Amino acid sequence: MELLINLFVNGLSTGMLIFLLAAGLTLIFGLMSVLNFAHGGLFVWGAFSAVWVYATTGSFMLSILGAVVTGVVLGFVTEKIIITPVYGNHVQQILITLGFMLVLTEMIKVVFGPNQLAAKVPPYLDGSWEVGDVILIKYRMFIILIGFAVFGVIQFILKRTKVGLIVRAGVLNKEMVQALGINIKQVFLFTFIAGAALASLGGALMAPYSGVVYAEMGLEFGILAFIVVVIGGMGSLPGSLLAAILVGLAGSFMAYYVPALSLAVNMILMALVLIFRPQGLFAAKG
Amino acid sequence: MSKVLSLNKSIYLIIALALLIFPFVSDSRTWTILLTQIFIFAILAMSYDLLLGYTGIVSFGHAMFFGIGAYTTGIMLDTFAPTLLYFVLSIAVGFILAAVVSFFVGILTLRLKSHYFAMLTLALSGLFLVAAEKWRSLTYGNDGFTFRAPEIFQDRLVFYLLSLGCLIAVFIFLKRFVSSPMGHVLISVRENENRTASLGFNTLHYKVIASVAAGVIASLAGSLYAVSLRFVNTSVMTMDITLDALLMTIIGGVGTLVGPILGAGVIELAQHYLSGLARDYPIFERWIILFGILYIIAVIFFPRGIVGGIQRVFAKLSGKKVKAARPIKKSVVKS
Repeated sequence: MELLINLFVNGLSTGMLIFLLAAGLTLIFGLMSVLNFAHGGLFVWGAFSAVWVYATTGSFMLSILGAVVTGVVLGFVTEKIIITPVYGNHVQQILITLGFMLVLTEMIKVVFGPNQLAAKVPPYLDGSWEVGDVILIKYRMFIILIGFAVFGVIQFILKRTKVGLIVRAGVLNKEMVQALGINIKQVFLFTFIAGAALASLGGALMAPYSGVVYAEMGLEFGILAFIVVVIGGMGSLPGSLLAAILVGLAGSFMAYYVPALSLAVNMILMALVLIFRPQGLFAAKG
Repeated sequence: MSKVLSLNKSIYLIIALALLIFPFVSDSRTWTILLTQIFIFAILAMSYDLLLGYTGIVSFGHAMFFGIGAYTTGIMLDTFAPTLLYFVLSIAVGFILAAVVSFFVGILTLRLKSHYFAMLTLALSGLFLVAAEKWRSLTYGNDGFTFRAPEIFQDRLVFYLLSLGCLIAVFIFLKRFVSSPMGHVLISVRENENRTASLGFNTLHYKVIASVAAGVIASLAGSLYAVSLRFVNTSVMTMDITLDALLMTIIGGVGTLVGPILGAGVIELAQHYLSGLARDYPIFERWIILFGILYIIAVIFFPRGIVGGIQRVFAKLSGKKVKAARPIKKSVVKS
């Protein structure tokens, strides 16, 4: 029983980290129909800047803040330079964002050095609670909490505020929104920045979780996030949350019970979904 | 027009002859090896361009076929005997495997839209990579294994000539392929898939054929690559191989056959020299950045790459208009 709970908590927390990455991706896709292959690059920049800030200031909160600021700045630059010229052309979008991903990954090595960096869990989140026989690792619970909180906040913004109304309307029909006098370009920019900030936040939280950060983790997690977005249905936020949890749990249980398949399970999940239900399990209704 | 064509042809012929004579004139080992590498990657990049440039589909799984070729040759030469016969056989087996895999992958994936297709190929090639890592009894995982190449290839010169021969054969084959009626259908799929379908062509059918042809040629490149290194490990299945092919195609000139060859040359040479420079200036160790930026600029401003640029200059000089072919599909947003 303890084993099951531990595996469940592990899977859930990994799923939440992937969700942070996938949330931005799915919103950007839903609204702008841009598939951002550079998203993992923003994630890894968040992770490295958080580690760097934590090492220099010693404050965990500041490191999270630093990562989010990095995400906002990079998101702004990416949207302006990389995405704007290729709106509406899917093939070019795939090509150019992939190229930018390469640049982002290599830039990490220039700025922070080619070696992997160790990341520490802040002292007040280190350790674990024991509830009966079950050991709950504090940092993992913290991630799960943050994940649900972020989901709640995004859902609130989307469902209850005017900005959210515009974004949701944009997902359904962007020409109509533009015709109603709303500067859809600006909405695109802000959505993209928000997505980038979420990716960076995910990276910052990931760093202490895995203990080390390295430049190639961007591509690894980027692929996971894509898988989640595809399984959940492009443009659907609750779909992404459920799919992220599914992928996280599948990964953690498979790693324990069928280790040989653990690397492949997500790919298989995605391939099955794409073949049998290409719109995703929980496609956005529109 | 026919005059221009014959001019082009004679230029190709001169270059091919120069490359043929080159190893007899110069006895630089480095150059022979470097050029062999360029030929092999040129074959890979051309096969990639058949998908990207001619059919307008972005595949992120091309490394899968390269890896199939490399592993087939490596494993067969290692388990049986390092003879020429088994080398030829292994290429044939690689062809069959790559054709079967690309056929099924094509049938499963090619009906999806571009994003989904790109991601599904990425996932499938990821599966192959995992399989190569896990099936240790056959592949020795990430450590890889060395094997003996056929006696005759101990002489670098012979292998150089073989690679050059393969390059020329593939070039001629692809040239015929894309200028055949079949190739024209592929180009029209790139330009407007819906319209092609409405003209009565079963586009899926044609796209699958393109994908099989590209897969088979990539497997040839993989076989040659394995023999050139006499070593195979999982790196032949990684995303890096696909990215190399992508960079070479885009920078050289998408939608042409000379472009990928040129791109392979430029990138391999630059890689060679820049990593040489890296000893003095560490910044050159990150030469990928340079290429990434070049690549982004190419995608935005010069979607036709080096070859497209040259064509435009020539067209300006002779006062003629360039053929209005767009190498990368411009699809309109539909929502």
